Amino acid sequence: MKTPVITIPGAWRRFRGNRSARAGLFLLGLLSILALGGLPFSIRWYNTQALDRAVRLPPAFEPSVPLDRFTETPETSPGRGASVAHRMTSWLGHDDLGRSLLFRLLLALLISLGIGLAAATLTVLIGTTWGAVAALVGGRLDFVLMRFVDVLYGLPYTLLIILMKVGLTRPVSSLLGFHQAATDMVILFTAIGSVSWLTMARVIRGQVLSLKSQPFVDAARAAGAGPGRILFRHLLPNLAGPIVVYATLAVPQAILQESFLSFLGIGIRPPIPSLGRLASEGVFAVNGYVSYWWLLLYPCGTLFLTLLALNFVGDGLRDAVDPKSTSALVV
Amino acid sequence: MLHRLLLLIAFFLAVICWGHSRSRLELRADLTYVNPSDIHTLDPARMSWTTDFRVALNIWEGLTSWDPETLHPTAGAAFFPPRVSDDEGELVFTLRNDARWSNGEPVTADDFVRGWRRGIEPGCAADYAFLLTDHITGADEYVQWRQRWVSALTALVRLRDGWDIDVRLAGSLLDPEIVLNLKSLGELALAQQLERLAGKPDDALGPAIRELGAGWSRIHSELLEVHGNRLDVEFSRVGIRALDERTLTVQLSKPCPYFLDLTGMPVFLPCHSSIELLRERHGRAALSETGLVLHDPQWTKPDYHRNGYPGLITNGAFQLTEWTFKRRARMAKNLFFHGADAIGCRTIDMVVYDNLNAALMAYEAGQVDLLPDLTVPYVHELVRRAESGERKDILRCPVSATYFLNFNCRSRSLNEAPNPMSDPRVRRALSLSVDKEMLVIKVRARGDRIAHSFVPPDATAGYVPPKAPGYNPDESRRLLSEAGYSGGAGLPPISLLLTQNDERLGQALARTWERELGIRVELTVKESKSFSEDKAERRYMVARGNWFADYNDPTTFLNCLASGNGNNDSGYSNAEYDRLLDEANRIADPESRFQLLSRAEAIVVQTDFPIVPILHFSEPIAIKPYVHGIHANARLWFPFRFARVSR
Amino acid sequence: MIRRVARRLLFGLFTIFSVYTLTFLMVVALPGNPLQQGERTLSPEVAQALRARYNMDNNWLYYWQFLRGALRLDFGPTFTYTEWTCNQILASALPVSAVVGVLAILLAVGIGVPAGVVCAVGRNGFLDMGLMVMVLVGISLPSFVTGSLLLALFGVYLRWTPVGGWGTLAHLPLPVVTLSFPFMAAMVRLTRMSMLDTLSGEFVRTAVAKGAAPYAIISRHALKPAFLPVLTYLGPATAQAMTGSFIVEKIFCVPGLGQHFVNAALNRDAGLILGTVICFATMLVLFNLIVDILYSYLDPRVVGAV
Repeated sequence: MKTPVITIPGAWRRFRGNRSARAGLFLLGLLSILALGGLPFSIRWYNTQALDRAVRLPPAFEPSVPLDRFTETPETSPGRGASVAHRMTSWLGHDDLGRSLLFRLLLALLISLGIGLAAATLTVLIGTTWGAVAALVGGRLDFVLMRFVDVLYGLPYTLLIILMKVGLTRPVSSLLGFHQAATDMVILFTAIGSVSWLTMARVIRGQVLSLKSQPFVDAARAAGAGPGRILFRHLLPNLAGPIVVYATLAVPQAILQESFLSFLGIGIRPPIPSLGRLASEGVFAVNGYVSYWWLLLYPCGTLFLTLLALNFVGDGLRDAVDPKSTSALVV
Repeated sequence: MLHRLLLLIAFFLAVICWGHSRSRLELRADLTYVNPSDIHTLDPARMSWTTDFRVALNIWEGLTSWDPETLHPTAGAAFFPPRVSDDEGELVFTLRNDARWSNGEPVTADDFVRGWRRGIEPGCAADYAFLLTDHITGADEYVQWRQRWVSALTALVRLRDGWDIDVRLAGSLLDPEIVLNLKSLGELALAQQLERLAGKPDDALGPAIRELGAGWSRIHSELLEVHGNRLDVEFSRVGIRALDERTLTVQLSKPCPYFLDLTGMPVFLPCHSSIELLRERHGRAALSETGLVLHDPQWTKPDYHRNGYPGLITNGAFQLTEWTFKRRARMAKNLFFHGADAIGCRTIDMVVYDNLNAALMAYEAGQVDLLPDLTVPYVHELVRRAESGERKDILRCPVSATYFLNFNCRSRSLNEAPNPMSDPRVRRALSLSVDKEMLVIKVRARGDRIAHSFVPPDATAGYVPPKAPGYNPDESRRLLSEAGYSGGAGLPPISLLLTQNDERLGQALARTWERELGIRVELTVKESKSFSEDKAERRYMVARGNWFADYNDPTTFLNCLASGNGNNDSGYSNAEYDRLLDEANRIADPESRFQLLSRAEAIVVQTDFPIVPILHFSEPIAIKPYVHGIHANARLWFPFRFARVSR
Repeated sequence: MIRRVARRLLFGLFTIFSVYTLTFLMVVALPGNPLQQGERTLSPEVAQALRARYNMDNNWLYYWQFLRGALRLDFGPTFTYTEWTCNQILASALPVSAVVGVLAILLAVGIGVPAGVVCAVGRNGFLDMGLMVMVLVGISLPSFVTGSLLLALFGVYLRWTPVGGWGTLAHLPLPVVTLSFPFMAAMVRLTRMSMLDTLSGEFVRTAVAKGAAPYAIISRHALKPAFLPVLTYLGPATAQAMTGSFIVEKIFCVPGLGQHFVNAALNRDAGLILGTVICFATMLVLFNLIVDILYSYLDPRVVGAV
């Protein structure tokens, strides 16, 4: 099927006109600011346990944990940051080890977004390179590369990710000095990113193939431009559309995959939180015996809003980069 | 086209739903209980999971059984107690006259010999084979003899097919007995060549033998024949003998006061003669080409009828009538059982629910009657309701098991860095600052019992375990300074190896240590297989461990810490400890035995601290009030023959 | 056409073989001992006897022996369940997953395609935005959350369906609905996008100019070519749905194939991993072939070309 060329000019205007896309972008910005802004607090106090007094306490305005938990040792006086953190600590309630859900959620949001972005970046890098090289070089190499993609499609997604997670843990952890959180995040985004690039490779290949047959490429080559110049100056700007669209839609996919792995118990290991982990723990928090609604509502709600925002933005971008527009190509 | 598409979809939907709704409507069984993972194996010689034991001990009956409330050994298929010779070396069991298989045939002593023999034959991979080889005379020697021959035959098969053989297989061909047999078969040249190879270095052995290029096929079949003919002769040296149809004698290699507790376990169950259908064809036990006894792994299925096999035949209170993978196993009353008239339930269903939350919801909805595993994230709430009396249908079983922390007692640990845990003072310091009360009552909150010793206090009547010192962080700090790590300075980060189920406990423990001792703790949470591998290869400083009692004696726990024991994960080795255990093994008088064992345990929990016992499990189970006759006990053993359902 | 099908089949076999080899390499590189059950350490003699018996001490031997068996459709024993061969496990799990998967895909197509058409026709109107928002809401929660919520509502609170399990018609709706959400969302998006494509195409404009009724335009002229990208997506999607989703099976206790993918990997059960992977690859090849044949029926321009 002939793939029409996708263009950039006018895209931003169309995107802005799309109401849901605007809402999604706003929401995404809000969540990112919260996650990044809360980092100095969350990274210090996400693991402050209070087993003697704050286990599974519901949300409250007044802190249920004494101030001395927020200092280095019980004797030193708390800094200003610690007092601020102390005041906010019970706003979203406490989990089953007495830790503040607010700080854990902020850190989890940052980590999940980070993994999603890293996995999407990896997907884009591998997929674009693969597809572009296949299309540009053509011939036998194209055949081999695309058959390889066909074979990789035949491997089940879940199994691959689990095998990679299980198999890579030891080598990567020894490479990173046995730092557990870093190991987990690196393995996760590597595993997720390296199984999701297949569709992207096909799409980019289709795009480059149809771009290659456009007259402006012939003109550029006739004018003496080398393959590198053709690639960067002429092809990439026209590829930016689908790349951005697929990248944005790959992020929620990656976050969902990470949440599935956390549900299985092989995602990020404790005590580091992630949205998927908090959501899987929260699913069992409301049933016929107990009702710890804050453990369910806030993590699932945050996950829901994050994915919704990302999906809105992605769909809006896809609409904006509309193949049926009559604008000119970037020549 | 749109409406055509929708019509097509509706058609497919209708077909599938119609096909699906034709599944048989079945009557619900009298009693339904849940098994969270499916049965791993129903082969009594091979099973090691409690959930498998639960099914096996209901469909088979061993020589002895246990009282459902006190767990004291009682009569099973044989009269109790057996006749004992003067020095306790020989036990004579007399079977009941009315012990029958589910097809009406009488249970004979030969059936028991057959069942016990399966437990020690290599190729059955019995986790519990040690119960036979440790206690019965001649069993260990028989097993070793068989292993040697199986290795040699495997090597010959590989050579015959043209593959390389590794050093272990090559070495087995140089065994003197094999060489002797080769000579008696007339293969003098080959025998002499093998003898000459005896001194060669390891890696050259395999290729060297391969180069000998003899007629491997012929040699293999001849040796297989020889071995097959000697099988029964060698087995007759093992101390299990059927004197006549109803009498079985067992020769013990050393005094074993708890032997009657062992004889109820699955590895001691009898086996019906139909499993040896192939024996008639071959004239002796059928052997695979590598010398392993051939049996069809499907013999435990009730509907398997290949080669004229009649399906699974058992001698217990129930027989297995149906078994579908990952769905259900149905047991029906065995009409030939000697106590059949007293059995209250006609059918029992075991259903598989992967997800215990769904299982608990099904229990509440009345779909299942007994839920023996309540490992859900909110179990603390269930236990609280049980304790306050709100939920009378939730019982707690004080299981004879200990959850503890292993210290890596070797002198090196991961990344070739020196292991601070090899210093007993450091271990003692860490042990004394484990706040067991906080961990057991606040964090786990499942009603477990705090452990002050390795062996649970009610494990064996008459045995009083020594008490470990209590929570004392000041003493810990003092000990750490004494060891040279005052205030935690100089200690590398302690790696704590856990599985996913122990996360909360590990996090709480890590924070306590960090706060009290000023050290850094790193949690390493791994999934089950990686965890087991790391633990076995000692790639940790502190790891969690748990141990469930196999039988009713302190040695089931204490043997784990003997030097070189396969389950000794901490690498602990103390000559005095080993000596005490050895001595206790050789004497028969229970009191002096318990004293020796107590002294040995005191070395572990009061002086050396290779482990820190934290809690003894207390498993909550849920039984509907209309189910009678099932009691909570320390082994989670539910004999359904005593169950009555009054719905 | 026959030649194209034959070529596809041949390449499909090659795909299955490569998938087998790649998976085998990964399985061999995994740490962990598959033969150890629970946490009791196997004694070394027993462990060695087991390894020799399953041909696991020699990787090449295992590779060829498994391949020979696979050609006879015999996938050998599994390590985790001694009484069940891989074939028996696949035979009992595949029909269950297939039923849930096919029903989920049918539901997704039956609701997703008309919804997508409605969205495309009323582009940027309220209906378009409303439906898209609803669809996105459905996929912005992981399936374990939606599944648990549905189970709590319909199984526990309303008691309309049994709580998990398998066997009767009443066990079907909840897993099927939960599994169908992501596919439904993809259907709506794809149909909407390709309908928009087709609706502004030349021959549709010709039909409008000729004065044909709107419904006839949509269903007769536009939908057929617009369905092509949906069909391309449906091929691998059906294979994926049919081999089950581990999450849905875990929440609703459905004895399907998805759990075996995960459990086999976690248990390092080489035979079962390879068996399930070959099963998945075969189904993928099969469905791609069916899609290919349907392609040529739907789009007359495609006949003969690859």
